Amino acid sequence: MTPWFLGISFLISSSLAGIILVFLISGSLPIFEKYGWEFIFGEEWYVGETYGALPMIYGTTVVTGIALGIALPLGIGTAVVTSEVVGRRMRYILKSVMEIMAGVPGIVYGLLGMLLVTTWIRDLFGLVDGNCLLTAGLLLGVMILPTVMTLSEDAIHVVPNFYREQAYALGLQTHEVIIYAVLPQAIPGILGAIFLGTTRAMGETVAVMLVIGSLDRIPDPFYNLFAPAQSIASKIGREAAESIGVGLHWNALVALGLILFGMVMTLTWLAERVGWTGRLQ
Amino acid sequence: MMTSVRGRGLVGRFWFLLTMLTTVLSVMLLVSVVSVMVAKGGAVLTWEFFSQPSRSFGAEGGIRSQIMGTLILAVGAGLISLPIALGTALYQSEYLSLRFQSVVMRLIYALNGVPTILFGLFGYLVFGLYFGLGISWLSGVLILAMMILPTLVVSIREAIESIPVQYREAGLALGMTIPQLIRTVIIPYSFHGIVTGLLLGLARATGETAAILFTATTFFGVDLPKSFNEPVTTLQTHILVLSQEAVHLSATSAVWGSALTLMVLVFCFSSGALVIRSRFGVKV
Repeated sequence: MTPWFLGISFLISSSLAGIILVFLISGSLPIFEKYGWEFIFGEEWYVGETYGALPMIYGTTVVTGIALGIALPLGIGTAVVTSEVVGRRMRYILKSVMEIMAGVPGIVYGLLGMLLVTTWIRDLFGLVDGNCLLTAGLLLGVMILPTVMTLSEDAIHVVPNFYREQAYALGLQTHEVIIYAVLPQAIPGILGAIFLGTTRAMGETVAVMLVIGSLDRIPDPFYNLFAPAQSIASKIGREAAESIGVGLHWNALVALGLILFGMVMTLTWLAERVGWTGRLQ
Repeated sequence: MMTSVRGRGLVGRFWFLLTMLTTVLSVMLLVSVVSVMVAKGGAVLTWEFFSQPSRSFGAEGGIRSQIMGTLILAVGAGLISLPIALGTALYQSEYLSLRFQSVVMRLIYALNGVPTILFGLFGYLVFGLYFGLGISWLSGVLILAMMILPTLVVSIREAIESIPVQYREAGLALGMTIPQLIRTVIIPYSFHGIVTGLLLGLARATGETAAILFTATTFFGVDLPKSFNEPVTTLQTHILVLSQEAVHLSATSAVWGSALTLMVLVFCFSSGALVIRSRFGVKV
């Protein structure tokens, strides 16, 4: 173990993110040269003819939004109970369950979605096909729930007892102590947890790919969550193998990747800005 | 804020009920995920299922090659990623100023945020085409190694940071050089972090599908790879393909079985990490 080895590994790991960014930018240049903004705001994607990313950007955003709609109330509510209400033993159990469940592979949710949830959604809402934005969002919501929960719980749990004691001394009741004394202190960490959960939902490929319906179109009307759609990651997952690394089709997929990268990095940056502590799981 | 104590009590009770409800719902959701998997996949898990290669489009035989493939990719990625992650964490903590350390950590977090499918795109072009590896298990291993690198670095760094400063000072007071300090103090006292990081990384690599989907795996016709540029078949690919195209009922139950197996593999790695972490006093 000599320092030169350490230096080399250090160089490798600190440059990888940059290398990927350079790869994405250089790979998507031809598309932006040819289509410019049309690529981002275009609504049509026909391989060999025209490439527009808007339906995919829309799909990613909506699916992530639904996922957050589920994971935030459930995750933060559970985090509050785990940190402030239940005893030590129960907290340990709940935390362990969440940490373990945070690792369930996306493909497992994809399978559950494909073989069960799509049929439930179809029958529940009387649809022709259960492959839609809502199904994908629901699955993602359950998928990121443990991450959101365990990271928010960390943020709530590290609030010094001092604040709780002061609030109790002022005569506040338990829920008031939590709402007025503990949660305000924990907000940066909770926001960090939310942003991190969001990036996980955005980048997930297989769980979405199998249930979103893979139709590159913005639903009509646009708020129709029962319509099939497409997300950026699922689009890349579906078509990367066909595009064999050359030509405009490949460039278009890389450009989609660049957009996704931009979205995710903005959120990661925000998470760091608000004071996320740096835990990954 | 309500002023009457009675009113506040009511609000409190309502609030308590609401949060309890979210907790019960969350736990039920996650428990039902596991129990559905066990209920659907548990029945097919026999010794034959694990020990035989799959036949006739997943409808017969088992998933031996798939399990091997998943493990080859994950363990290979772990083996490549571990020395690089260790080197990075050590270089950072021993040779860099605090200010520069935080810059580097941002780069590592950025890498952690990269959606896995993008590692797939990157690896397809760079490893597959430029390095000429094609669709092969080696491409997959390299891609997954990149992907799990941040997990390992962060975990190892956490452990290094938690070494009491006296240990370090004692070593330096004895006149140790930094490489000696690393060998005799830093690595032994952060060993749990190294193992935890490796296990977490293995868990991530085991469950990953998107990054290896079009870069390293194939559905059919391979058992164990015989050379560097042959693809493998993995549990993830098996599930992905069969869930979309299975026609036989027995193939469907094989899919559930494969998914359960995959989940259990991931759980083994991640619960191992959890146990080590809580044993070494790092808060869960």
